[in-house]
Amino acid sequence: MATVDDPRTIEFDVRTDEMLVNMGPQHPSTHGVLRLVLRTDGEVVSEITPHIGYLHRCAEKIGENLTPRQWIPYTDRMDYLAAMNMNLGWALTVEKLLKYGPPEKGRHLRVIISELGRIASHLVGMGAYGLDLGTFSPFLYAFREREKILDLFEEACGARLTYSYLTVGGATADLPPGWLQKCEAFLDELEPIVDEYHALLTTNAIFIKRTAGIGVMPQEMAIDFGTSGPVLRGSGVDHDLRRDGEETYTAMYDGYAFEVIVQKNGHYPKDHDYPAVPTEAVLGDCWHRFYVRMLELVQSIDLVRQAIDRYSRSEGSYGEPMKLNQKLPKGEVYLETEAPRGQMGFYIVSNGEAIPWRVRARSSSFCNLSVAPELCRSCLIADVPAIVGSLDIVMGEIDR
Amino acid sequence: MNQIYWPSVFFLIFGALACGFAVAVLLTANIVRMAFYLVLSLAATAGLFFLAGQDFVGAMQLLIYVGGTLVLLIFGVMLTSQERFVSMKTMAGDWLIGLGAGAALLFLLVIAATSVPNWRGRDAAEVQQMQVEKTAAPIAMGLLGARVDQINEPAQANIVRSGYLLHFEIVSIHLLVVLIGAAYLARAKRKPASVPTT
Amino acid sequence: MGAFFDQYLPTWLAYTLAGLIHVGLIINLVAVGALIFIWLERKISGRIQDRLGPTRVGGKFGWLQTLADGMKLLTKEDLMPEGADGFLFRIAPYVSFGASITAFIAIPFAGGDYPWIAQRVNTGVFFVIAVLGLEVFGVILAGYSSASKWSLFGAMREAAQVVSYEVPLGMCAVVPVLLAGSMDLVVIGDQQAGWFTNWFIFNDPATFITFWVYFTCATASVNRAPFDLAEAESELVAGFHTEYSGLRWSFFFMAEYGSMFSVSILASILFLGGWHGPIPIASLLHVDGTYFGNLLGCLNVLFKGTLGVAIMMWVRWTLPRLRIDQVMATCLKYCTPIAAVMFLGAALWQYALPGRNFFGLSRAPAAVYNVSEGWSAGANAAIEKSAPVETVNAESPTPVAVVLTQSNRGG
Repeated sequence: MATVDDPRTIEFDVRTDEMLVNMGPQHPSTHGVLRLVLRTDGEVVSEITPHIGYLHRCAEKIGENLTPRQWIPYTDRMDYLAAMNMNLGWALTVEKLLKYGPPEKGRHLRVIISELGRIASHLVGMGAYGLDLGTFSPFLYAFREREKILDLFEEACGARLTYSYLTVGGATADLPPGWLQKCEAFLDELEPIVDEYHALLTTNAIFIKRTAGIGVMPQEMAIDFGTSGPVLRGSGVDHDLRRDGEETYTAMYDGYAFEVIVQKNGHYPKDHDYPAVPTEAVLGDCWHRFYVRMLELVQSIDLVRQAIDRYSRSEGSYGEPMKLNQKLPKGEVYLETEAPRGQMGFYIVSNGEAIPWRVRARSSSFCNLSVAPELCRSCLIADVPAIVGSLDIVMGEIDR
Repeated sequence: MNQIYWPSVFFLIFGALACGFAVAVLLTANIVRMAFYLVLSLAATAGLFFLAGQDFVGAMQLLIYVGGTLVLLIFGVMLTSQERFVSMKTMAGDWLIGLGAGAALLFLLVIAATSVPNWRGRDAAEVQQMQVEKTAAPIAMGLLGARVDQINEPAQANIVRSGYLLHFEIVSIHLLVVLIGAAYLARAKRKPASVPTT
Repeated sequence: MGAFFDQYLPTWLAYTLAGLIHVGLIINLVAVGALIFIWLERKISGRIQDRLGPTRVGGKFGWLQTLADGMKLLTKEDLMPEGADGFLFRIAPYVSFGASITAFIAIPFAGGDYPWIAQRVNTGVFFVIAVLGLEVFGVILAGYSSASKWSLFGAMREAAQVVSYEVPLGMCAVVPVLLAGSMDLVVIGDQQAGWFTNWFIFNDPATFITFWVYFTCATASVNRAPFDLAEAESELVAGFHTEYSGLRWSFFFMAEYGSMFSVSILASILFLGGWHGPIPIASLLHVDGTYFGNLLGCLNVLFKGTLGVAIMMWVRWTLPRLRIDQVMATCLKYCTPIAAVMFLGAALWQYALPGRNFFGLSRAPAAVYNVSEGWSAGANAAIEKSAPVETVNAESPTPVAVVLTQSNRGG
């Protein structure tokens, strides 16, 4: 029995009961089939427990029964919002095992496609975050632009969601004629629209109130939990696999000019073009994670422009896809790439057959989601979608 | 009977509604339903005020009493959220005490109502002659402390000054006490057990 | 209208008929209004979001879309959760809807000597606000009886929000009452007759600010974005109406649109001249007071009300939702103090610049109504009689005298 002398005793607190509430798996703002069990006391959430596995499709086990090229469509279905980047990660991992890669032209093609994929993914991340905070319009604005990227992808590979375009050794096809012009026209269109997004969300007073100072994740916590991507950089950790990754991956960005989007000395790279960080925002909060995504989006536009320039200047083939039933060399290999949501790693153990002996994937969303229970300690119910949304998870990637 | 006196009919309807729902409050065991019936009963009482041409008092009834019951409802929900539709059983002894208190109150009211000469029943013709002043101002002024309806009676100059201010203040202090009491009842000392320790 | 029928029909039939016509008109106003507003909301949100909105049902602009939706809702199964309190669950939508339409009883659509109003209530402003506050009952009952935790959350949020926002809302509504010297909506509207310079919103800086505070509080009290916490779909699934389906669900929606419309009309009467347009067309055409003039006025009120609703929609589709503590802070830390200060400001302005309006730039017209209540003629006489005594006593004026000077503004 607590006594009044006990400093932890709250005298005259309203006597309310705790409730366990299921948020999801069918809930408008859990980004798919995530299930969060909230322990709430009135509006205050004392604890959340994520339950995952509702979208488990045994993708890794299937990968142990298929050749690497046959498994590419399954990587599409992992992070289905950035399927191109999933294709790329898998292709690079197999290439690392095979010790060969695409020629120069294929390299630039991959940069174009994967950075466009990053733009498309961050557009959804931005729009869906608006939905989490209760504003519907930015979502449709984001999809308006995303549709144009999907049009471009459709023209290149015939699919709009699950592309299977980038493949081991290059791509399944070259870009069609006239594609580059369309892509450039789209980029010119998109760049000024980013300001619109900033006006609607980033600088909106209510948006800042809802995100600044909410779900603050210190640097150490971000590293301890193995977060990656914009979630990690939002906490001020200067880490981007496009620069810091393995040679197999960074070689793709060889000669490209880009800066890692991370706050240094209170400034983001090139932040004079974009809204200033509000005074309420703390490094590592939801606002910063969102802002990093917005700046990465702009940077990807720049990267695609550079890549288009190089691609159009390079000669020769875009690459030679590996044969469907080509034997893999014995050995094991692991490679991480910088997918839009963070470090996407693939692991292959081969015993010399055409079909790998073991296939595993390391999901960025999985690690990013693991911080959610820490961030949602004694927050309000309304903050739960704000925090989980700012982690920008995709359940297809977590459950695989 | 050549003509029905319609205000009386409506008076009976509203009165019956008010009494009926008041009985329903007594007979229901569920606290939220109880509050709901209480709302309906009070709303019917507001209807009586509107019928009497006292719009201000009627609207006041809606805003304060019905709105106040809302708070009661919130408390009901808040305190019983764990065991939904909590049943409240009344002991036989409580019934007796309640009946006794109720009867005493009713007796007092009847005595009071019949002892004031002005309140004795008038016949319909006389009532129809009366001009009901459709204005809230006298009541409002009365609450502020000035009986404007008696302003032309210089002999009673004191009444002009006093109005209902004192009664109003007593009632409001009483309500404040009730409010604090309700808050006190709802609160309890406890440890912050909700914060998990991992 | 009752008196009109009384000439031709037996009394009981005449008044029953008049009552039925009034009620029918009001219910239709809310129902048809909801029909139009839902279509409007779809169109507005569509245009805001770079979409077209409905385009097919009923011809060019999809103007029958809501009717099609209504048909769909009619045919849907009327579901009730197993653990629900059936009686309260079933009755809750009607409580909300009933409160929403009851508010229209006291709302005038045209003024003058024969105002278009179902029942002229002497304390119209007060009545409308009191009745609108009852809508929350349906929401709480729905949330409680649904046997769903999300519904309960929504209901508790709504209760906390509406109870809090009634305070600043009432304070803002009192400012025009102070200027007009009456709580009768017909009187308040007619005090603003003439050009838009006579509108109370432009009366002085305090009323100008009050209008915006009122509109904010009204948006919050009818539970619209950015204050739509009770049905916050990203947090509470659908809040208090999570478990509702079909026609019962649509009753909640009609109630919501009904109260949006009524607070907007109330805003237009309190601050924007009501049936007196920016340009007094009716009096320029010398038709004021006639049926045609009233019709113009009615259209004017409906237009202003619709405009208010459209602005609420515009806000809804632009802004993110506030958090519950921020909603409460907005009410208690900003709206309530601002409203209180503006009330004082408006009173002091009246005291400093009596008989002037439009920020003190122009002279207020002679009041259409003699605001002095019936009792005040006698009261004035009494005070005049006792005035020498008062001055001899050198006491401060009695409360009666203070209020009388105020209520006789411009009269």
